[in-house]
Amino acid sequence: MSPTATTLLEMRSITKTFPGVTALAEVNLAVREGEIHAICGENGAGKSTLMKVLSGVHPHGSYTGDIVYRGEQVRFGDIRASEQAGIVIIHQELALVPGMSITENLFLGNEPRRRGAIDWKTAQRRAVELMEEVGLREDPDTLIKDIGVGKQQLVEIAKAFAKDVKLLILDEPTAALNEDDSQHLLDLLRGFRERGVTSIIISHKLNEIEAVADTITILRDGRTIESLDVRADGVNEDRIVRGMVGRELDSRFPDHTPDIGEVFFEVRDWTVRHPSSDERLVCKGSEFHVRRGEIVGFAGLMGAGRTELAMSLFGRSYGTWLSGQVFKDGEEIQLKTVSDAIRHGLAYVSEDRKSIGLNLLDDIKTSMVAAKLSKIARRRVIDPVREHQVAEEYRQSLRIKTPGVDEGVVKLSGGNQQKVVLAKWMFTDPDLLILDEPTRGIDVGAKFEIYGIIQRLVAQGKGVIVISSELPELIGLCDRIYTVFEGTITGDVARADAEPELLMKQMTATKKSPTP
Amino acid sequence: MRRLVIRSIAAVGAAALLTLGTACSNEREGSTSSDSADGKGFAKDSLIGVALPAKTSENWVLAGDLFSDGLKDAGFKADVQYAGASTTVADQQAQISSMVTKGAKVIVIGATDASQLATQVSQAKEAGATVIAYDRLITNTKDVDYYIAFDNFKVGQLQGQALIDGMKAKKAKGPWTIELFSGSPDDNNSKVFFDGAMEVLKPLIDKGDIVVGSGQTDIKQTATQGWKAENAQQRMDSLLTSAYGGKKTLDGVLSPNDTLARAILTSVKGAGKAVPVVTGQDSEVESVKSIMAGEQYSTINKDTRKLVAETINMVKSVQKGDKPTINDTKSYDNGKKVVPSYLLPPVIVTKENAAEAYANDPKLAPLTK
Amino acid sequence: MSRITDLQKNLFGGTASNARQFGMISTLVAIVLLFQIWTDGLTLTSGNLIAVVSQYSYILILAIGMLMVIVAGHIDLSVGSVAAFTGIVVAKAMEEYSLPWPLGIVLGLLVGVLIGAWQGFWVAYIGVPAFIVTLAGMLLFRGGNQYIGNADTVPVPEGFRKIGAGFLPEVGPDTGYNNLTLLLGAAACAGVVWREWKARQTRREMNADVAPLWVTGIRLAVMLGVIVFATLRFAGGRIGTSLPISGIILIVLVIAYSHYTRNTIGGRHIYAVGGNARAAELSGVKLKRVNFLVMMNMSVLAALAGMIFVARSSASGPQDGLSWELDAIAAVFIGGAAVSGGLGTVSGSIVGGLVMALLNNGLQLEGVGSDMVQIIKGLVLLLAVAFDVYNKSQGRFSIIGTLTRPFRRDDPAEPAAPPAPASDADKAKVAG
Repeated sequence: MSPTATTLLEMRSITKTFPGVTALAEVNLAVREGEIHAICGENGAGKSTLMKVLSGVHPHGSYTGDIVYRGEQVRFGDIRASEQAGIVIIHQELALVPGMSITENLFLGNEPRRRGAIDWKTAQRRAVELMEEVGLREDPDTLIKDIGVGKQQLVEIAKAFAKDVKLLILDEPTAALNEDDSQHLLDLLRGFRERGVTSIIISHKLNEIEAVADTITILRDGRTIESLDVRADGVNEDRIVRGMVGRELDSRFPDHTPDIGEVFFEVRDWTVRHPSSDERLVCKGSEFHVRRGEIVGFAGLMGAGRTELAMSLFGRSYGTWLSGQVFKDGEEIQLKTVSDAIRHGLAYVSEDRKSIGLNLLDDIKTSMVAAKLSKIARRRVIDPVREHQVAEEYRQSLRIKTPGVDEGVVKLSGGNQQKVVLAKWMFTDPDLLILDEPTRGIDVGAKFEIYGIIQRLVAQGKGVIVISSELPELIGLCDRIYTVFEGTITGDVARADAEPELLMKQMTATKKSPTP
Repeated sequence: MRRLVIRSIAAVGAAALLTLGTACSNEREGSTSSDSADGKGFAKDSLIGVALPAKTSENWVLAGDLFSDGLKDAGFKADVQYAGASTTVADQQAQISSMVTKGAKVIVIGATDASQLATQVSQAKEAGATVIAYDRLITNTKDVDYYIAFDNFKVGQLQGQALIDGMKAKKAKGPWTIELFSGSPDDNNSKVFFDGAMEVLKPLIDKGDIVVGSGQTDIKQTATQGWKAENAQQRMDSLLTSAYGGKKTLDGVLSPNDTLARAILTSVKGAGKAVPVVTGQDSEVESVKSIMAGEQYSTINKDTRKLVAETINMVKSVQKGDKPTINDTKSYDNGKKVVPSYLLPPVIVTKENAAEAYANDPKLAPLTK
Repeated sequence: MSRITDLQKNLFGGTASNARQFGMISTLVAIVLLFQIWTDGLTLTSGNLIAVVSQYSYILILAIGMLMVIVAGHIDLSVGSVAAFTGIVVAKAMEEYSLPWPLGIVLGLLVGVLIGAWQGFWVAYIGVPAFIVTLAGMLLFRGGNQYIGNADTVPVPEGFRKIGAGFLPEVGPDTGYNNLTLLLGAAACAGVVWREWKARQTRREMNADVAPLWVTGIRLAVMLGVIVFATLRFAGGRIGTSLPISGIILIVLVIAYSHYTRNTIGGRHIYAVGGNARAAELSGVKLKRVNFLVMMNMSVLAALAGMIFVARSSASGPQDGLSWELDAIAAVFIGGAAVSGGLGTVSGSIVGGLVMALLNNGLQLEGVGSDMVQIIKGLVLLLAVAFDVYNKSQGRFSIIGTLTRPFRRDDPAEPAAPPAPASDADKAKVAG
């Protein structure tokens, strides 16, 4: 990239209001040709809205300000218009049809035709080319549902290339990817840069942004705060965070003095079979324990079996249970159903808020009490006053940003939704909370708050298990970390010994290290 | 504060009650059911309701048209309704209720299911309307005033006789093989037709001159739900498969009406069998064509014009407060009472007498030439 | 949009649930008045109101059960056949085995329970989609009806007819009205006042804004006015008539099921299962049990509806229950339920059912033929839902939304500013 590179896109004083709310106020964005431009900001800062304005989802006329693209003022009326101009946006939620092949997905809505019928020959050939371009090595006839999330992401990008992309916008592209796949994706972006394709990337993973971006534009509360040149300005993570939150964050983890008590929860020889495959075991004789007041981490690569372990414990919600015992406070407990698990003080906050954590049709207060309705009911009749009070208490104590607890959860940002889910499980008075990827897709400020909540919970003598794909998070937060590999617990690492290298080694090795 | 609320609520409530109470006219009155019975008559331009079954056969459509025109010509206001195609019974119940609401003085009912209208008929009666059962006798209620129809037992007899005559003409000596079809089990007439026909056929069956190929001679076995052509065709198809494999011949089929007769003929032709003698009823256009073409053997001419005309005459007598003409006060017991009836004679029509029988029918006469 | 919410806030007192009740009643009144004008005042005569209630109560009873089935994310196509099957079993039992009619009703409900258990078993425990199970049930029980009844009509005894065609007895002094109906009306008035009072208290306990007194006053006046008007109409029909017994059964069921779906744990669970089955399961909801009970409940209500129809028709016939399922489903969707489940209310479905019933009735009073009535009903169903979907996708004022907002559980009165994000578009689209 040369410093004299021309400006590909300029958005000038974009203002977009929704009834009662100004989502964007006089936002400016300038993207040079051939660069990787990162947009950072907390959830609700206006990143997605800005991209919707750019891609025509919010059509011309619904906002004020100018968009100059390749030297011309453009007015996109819909998403098709922007795609024709070569602007392609790839959303966090992938838009692929699981039951169709890679080829079919690549050309969906854009099928090459010959005499009115789909020209599968051309499609196949082009598919192979496109897949090569994004470094995807798969049979083009493979069904989407049979490949991993990382590869699905690549298919999305290849799809963008099928449309002759000039400006590629990626919204949280690595949120669902593991370390390896993320790295691959970032390399790919660098490759695009070499070939002159311009990209805009929206991400919460600041280390990635620092590594890959040329320019960073920071938004806060719907305004442009600053635009940083990564090379020239010597940008690092702390610098970005300061811009995003408007203050220095002393630490990414709140201060915490562990007060660890006795072992109160213990799992022995936990073995679970995959729900559809007779052969595959997703948990093989897993054994672990949790002490009161302890935050225990579960580290592992995608598919290592951490979620499967947690869900199978939680009322056998996953797979087929084969063997294993659970002890709480020295006594064996039976956790055959979710209600059993809740009754015995277990809570499981799932990794996928939207598809299995929340009923998106519900409002905040209904969601918060959903897991223990009996607590606010008299003779099975719900007391609306109690319900409202409970929800208000959590809204205040967890600092959920919402006009009121009657609001639909669907309208909340990811961080606030996560707080609602946390409230829902805190309301069940659990002794052991299992948090599966509790900060995925959540901005820095909200992450910090959620860490705080976790620490408050252990301070009350509860145990917390945190499953996370981000090693720094586990290292910063946990008192002890188990590593998991292919359904087996391969290590038990104390906080003092928790180094990324050691953990990574155990996360990829079958041999179990001696328990200290 | 609280007291204030209660007081204001009470005040507003009372006001509302008062205004609405006075605005509400009370429709409460004694039962007027005796009105029609004691023959006082009613205004000449009153509303007459006619509730007919779904438009499944030409005859009902024709009857509806004739009623509309005829009642208007006689100076009445007419409300002619057909039941819906799928929700027949419930529709007809609602239609009769609506007619009562609208103050119909006479309600003529061609019932969809003659035994499921008791509530509506008594409702009509209590509102002072006269109820005339048209073509189908409404059962299980004492609130039917009159019944008007063709003599259906006679229809059955004529059908039975025609079947025998037709088969004799084709094959002088028996035994003849036949199949029996009857109408919808929810139609009171089905049994009457069938019984009439069986009165003629039974002796020959007992003697062995006539053989029912499938052995199905019970009305429950031979029934055609809803008078639907597809049901008859399905049954004929299965009979042909089960009882007429190989070279077995079928000489005749007793069909209660034309729609079913044509369905039966379609089925037989589809199976590649020789066309048997098939009876019918209603003089539908297609069937008259079929008779003239030598396929269907006979039909019954129950001139809908005559029946409607007689019904309108009956309405007129009721309007004047006279007793309508009745020619049968014994035969039609609906389970609650013997309904005074007026029966018209049916006429059997074959290829031979078609021209003569339909001479006065503008639609059918040209077909017979 | 904001003007409408403002108006709603000022007149109907913000988010209070009783304001929603008010919205419902006023919408209904508007529809009634429309037909009142079209039919030259026939719609609101005592005779017609009584006829409409007894004619459509069985469809409305089905709509209650159907609403719960649809909220839970299923569908039930078998209700008509189940109703017909129950009808013939009960009629035969009373006719041929001279079962006393009260036992006949018990038998009918028992048949409903058994059929419901059968269908619930396949849906909940085997996991066959309800569409298939009930499609099979539709054929099964239709066939069963014909097998048992030999496609014949079986009359039912006088006593039994009461539940479908009966009225309250005339007791007490001659007031010019049916006294028991008057009493019921008075009870309803008292109930409404009590509810309004309770709602204000609840709001106060929640530290939420309480509507000004004059608002409550006006709202109560209108509600009471409607009840008083209806009471006088139903009580003032021909001697021997009153609010029909089937209507009373319906009202009791509506109150009971509204309470159940809105205020109890079991009701919440139905919405949770329909909104997100997996999330509900992981929150400790017994998915199978909820599905089982919802399907079973539907069949019991279908059995009841079947008996009421048979009682009204004075006989069980082979055509009973034909295409009832469609009427019930239409009522539920017009009433604002979502095809994908999780949304909808009992009272909304009743409004939907009443819209259909009054449409039918009004058109029949106008002498419009049943062919045209069907065409119009079809168009109304399509347009009502389409208009709503369209407006929702445009983020504009939604008629059905407004119409049913009063009945939705805890719907925020003031829509939040930004429209729903793209990922929810499909949900929103079907959310009537």
